[in-house]
Amino acid sequence: MKLFIVKFLTLFAIAFSTTAVASAPAGHPEADRSEVKPYVSKGLGEMVVGFVQSTGIYALMNPDPDELNNHGEPMSDFHKSWGRVVMILITFFLFWLAIAKGFEPLLLLPIGFGGLLANIPVAGIAGPDGFLGIVYEMGLANQLFPIIIFMGVGAMTDFGPLLSNPKTALLGAAAQFGIFGTLIGAVALSQYTDIFSFTLQQASAISIIGGADGPTSIFIASELAPELLGAIAVASYSYMAMVPIIQPPIMRALTTVEERKIKMTTLRYVTRLEKLIFPIVVLTLSILVLPESTPLIGAFMFGNFLKESGVVERLNDTLQNALINIVTIFLGLAVGSKLSADQFLVADTLAILALGIIAFSAGTAAGVIMAKIMNMFPGTKVNPLIGSAGVSAVPMAARVSNKVGMEYDRTNMLLMHAMGPNVAGVIGSAVAAGVLLSIFK
Amino acid sequence: MTENLVAESLKFMVLGMGTVFMFLIIMIIVMNLQAKIVHRFFPEPEPVEPTPTLDTSAQAKKVAAATAAIMHHRNS
Repeated sequence: MKLFIVKFLTLFAIAFSTTAVASAPAGHPEADRSEVKPYVSKGLGEMVVGFVQSTGIYALMNPDPDELNNHGEPMSDFHKSWGRVVMILITFFLFWLAIAKGFEPLLLLPIGFGGLLANIPVAGIAGPDGFLGIVYEMGLANQLFPIIIFMGVGAMTDFGPLLSNPKTALLGAAAQFGIFGTLIGAVALSQYTDIFSFTLQQASAISIIGGADGPTSIFIASELAPELLGAIAVASYSYMAMVPIIQPPIMRALTTVEERKIKMTTLRYVTRLEKLIFPIVVLTLSILVLPESTPLIGAFMFGNFLKESGVVERLNDTLQNALINIVTIFLGLAVGSKLSADQFLVADTLAILALGIIAFSAGTAAGVIMAKIMNMFPGTKVNPLIGSAGVSAVPMAARVSNKVGMEYDRTNMLLMHAMGPNVAGVIGSAVAAGVLLSIFK
Repeated sequence: MTENLVAESLKFMVLGMGTVFMFLIIMIIVMNLQAKIVHRFFPEPEPVEPTPTLDTSAQAKKVAAATAAIMHHRNS
């Protein structure tokens, strides 16, 4: 009896599901067909007028009142006309920064060009059916691109300097203060003043710029505040590019000349086995402590493990070169698609740029101060200049530490010492990101 | 606004910085432990970097040339 009922129910379920499947595609082609307009013969004059009305210059001069933005919301006339011109000029400025000034050209050029394409009227390239919109949906809305970039960065990272001087990881931890300090500042300003009003999620997404890690910023922004993604990504990558300008004044202000001349002991030799098990060890730690951070740390350690294994040179090479290059192109274009006038030319963008640089500077300062605190304890001394490398921005921040150190003592090579806090900073900001995600889950 | 957002963000900071420090401190301890274990049980000979040996007579010639260049520079 029981068996019979079960069989009957199964039969019923199968019958029901097949009718559901059969009925689903039935309505679809009709809906598609109705959108294609039949061709109507027109006079030449009418055709010319129609063509003129479809030109870009006409669209810029006479904004279409029915035009909606990429999210299907109405937007102001300014954002449809002059706003677009202003944005296109801003993308030209990004090109100038990338080409003439050499600021992160690998990212600013795709981002800038994506922004240029996203601001073209009529074409709707960044809209849901435009190719930029498709690229955005393909990899940025679901956070795939930042994860793949992290794999590539992992394959490029050498944990040797960190393994040979583990305590420098503390500098990478301290530098994450930039994230949380700015979070408090942003929330306080939102609550007690009328300058801007960010929600806790938005403030968190903005302050992660202080981690100085582009992929992490994008990862968090697309999760917590997708509407601010464009401004956050642009701020994050431009500040990473401006590390050599932003950091040295802060480093000089917080250190004495004697401290800057501190020589660090040579790094000990790290065996291959140590480097090989380290990615697994860190991943295990993050599984136990903060599973929320494992997408980022897992991808990072996957790349690093392939590299250190030494047996998959082809995959390692692809991660470091071909794959990261391809994804960088798509990531840049997708971020650029968020640079449309209606989303970027708002007061919030200025606030994000301002908060971002505060976050970045606070992180730098916290790293340097942490190094000074470590020097108060007995043991080998740390040159505080490597503290600034605790913000991620690999390897630029470490190079800056080295350069500033060389200015005071030509023989003081800090580069390898600074790589320790630098890679620890990447792990630190991934952990900080995981904490923020776990709070809002 | 009912809840105090600043107090919320302060809690975020305590939790966030606490976690980051805890994570990296555990990582430091593990790294030290790992180094001890690996060096104890799987020692690997440190590769000896070949030191460039210069022929002494060639080196003397180079020093002489450099000195001459400096003297020439100072005199001119």
